[in-house]
Amino acid sequence: MVVQKGLYYTKDHEWVRLEGKIATIGITDHAQRMLGEVTFVELPAVGASFEKGQSISVVESSKAASDVYAPVDGKVIEVNEQLLSRPELINQSCYQDGWICKMELSKPNPTSGLMDADAYTRFLKSQ
Amino acid sequence: MPEQFYHAWIPVLYRALRLGPELKKDFIFKPPARQPVGSVLYQEHIKRAASCPMAEFAGYIMPLWFSSISQEHRAVREAAGLFDCTHMGILQVSGPQAAEFLEAVCTNWVADMEVGQARYTFLLEPTGTVMDDLIIYRRGEQDFMLVVNAVNEAKVKAYLDGLIQDIWIIDTADPERGLGLSPKIRDLRDPATGPDGMVDIAIQGPRSLEILEALVDSNSLFLAQLGPFRFIDCSIQRIPCVVARTGYTGARIGFELFVQPAKASALWNILSERGQQVGLLPCGLGARDSLRIEAGLPLYGRELAGPYGINPFEAGYGWAVKTQKPFFIGKTAIAEAASNRQMQVARVRFPGGKGIRPIRFGDAVLDSAGRCIGWISSCASTGSEQIGLAYMDSLHCTEGKVIGIYYLAHSQAQGRQGRPQTVEKGQQLQADLQGVVLPRFARF
Repeated sequence: MVVQKGLYYTKDHEWVRLEGKIATIGITDHAQRMLGEVTFVELPAVGASFEKGQSISVVESSKAASDVYAPVDGKVIEVNEQLLSRPELINQSCYQDGWICKMELSKPNPTSGLMDADAYTRFLKSQ
Repeated sequence: MPEQFYHAWIPVLYRALRLGPELKKDFIFKPPARQPVGSVLYQEHIKRAASCPMAEFAGYIMPLWFSSISQEHRAVREAAGLFDCTHMGILQVSGPQAAEFLEAVCTNWVADMEVGQARYTFLLEPTGTVMDDLIIYRRGEQDFMLVVNAVNEAKVKAYLDGLIQDIWIIDTADPERGLGLSPKIRDLRDPATGPDGMVDIAIQGPRSLEILEALVDSNSLFLAQLGPFRFIDCSIQRIPCVVARTGYTGARIGFELFVQPAKASALWNILSERGQQVGLLPCGLGARDSLRIEAGLPLYGRELAGPYGINPFEAGYGWAVKTQKPFFIGKTAIAEAASNRQMQVARVRFPGGKGIRPIRFGDAVLDSAGRCIGWISSCASTGSEQIGLAYMDSLHCTEGKVIGIYYLAHSQAQGRQGRPQTVEKGQQLQADLQGVVLPRFARF
């Protein structure tokens, strides 16, 4: 199970990469393994605003339709349209090419309530 | 007070006036709460694929897949697959009254079965509802083995035990009726059963025969000649087992092996090791489901009974319900249901593959005018296609008929987009995906 340093994580197995006011969001290696072969990704609309914890996207495999919850508050400024035709990127490269969307942060302290890589690793072990 | 009120009370009063011990009850089963446990092969599974996702199924922790559902599915169609079916219930019904007893509780004929023959049948409740679908193996004149669904094992056992004690109402028109038969019933998976114990391991696919032939100690000639729904006793690398040509994948060649629980791991490893040479893969519950869906085989709880209350005639299995039999439990009700059929199970095909939203249980099936004519009961992705089973209006169940799918909300985000969670028959909708009705079954 790969947990990448420098990212922040949620208990629902989303990751966030924070760069200034921009947050890039995806699902973790653990999440993609549990889902199996991803065949369909529903992306949010660019411009839509979400509160932390709201469902922002759906990742589907033959096993399940899984909601992706916004790990931060903000507005969607870019989506990974490659996923529409190549949803398998989530399996192949969940932390890089398989990113889902970028959000512009709307509130300060985006990392509150999120785990760093070490905390997320411990969280996975406790599951 | 309406007249019906009095009528409703007649059977209640009738029974209340009888003395306690003679009182018969309607069969109601409450599953006992228990913690899920690993299957007999659990230790083998975690050795093989430490990170393979497991899920609880019928009280057992079972692998969903070892490699991937699509690879395992393909292996069974092109080479062979090995399945842990040790969670399946295996009951022995034996004694001089065993055949007569099973004849009265099963919808299919039993007494005319030959020793070494297997047969598919249903157990019905007196109301005609499917209690389980199962395969009966006749191991002796007075010795039958019943392989029942894991989810129904405890229920079936409680039901059969109660029939022997004569405590259930078996005929709604004659609540006092009893079978008066008392065969012996044993749970063959119970560790207390000892050397007669049995668990099920399946090996399915075109190369399964050659794998078994290479491993069997004797009887290999008989193995090749074993017809569908026939079985023999043999031994594989000195492990005694019953080899049956039955299965749940639609594979033309496939076997189920019944083996002592203590020998199950050894047999699993022998088959897996030898099978690898010809492309055999161990398969999880995911491929087990996609294979049976592709073949058109029903699953109890989806295409039999379940939320849609599907009966055997609607499922395409009326042939296993012999209404010409003098009696079986549920006969009156099922015979009536058979003549009033308006819905049935159809096998359907839609585009699939990367970028197409998967079709799931409950999604609406539409006619070419966009009217809801039924619902998806199961669906699986097989490469560039999605093959599903749909419970839909019989009028539309003709091969080649063009149909549509309307996706329901299966996640929060889809609900927020305005997708409903249920759709009624007759509702007018816009199809999301266009597909076609296939022949009811496929063999591979």
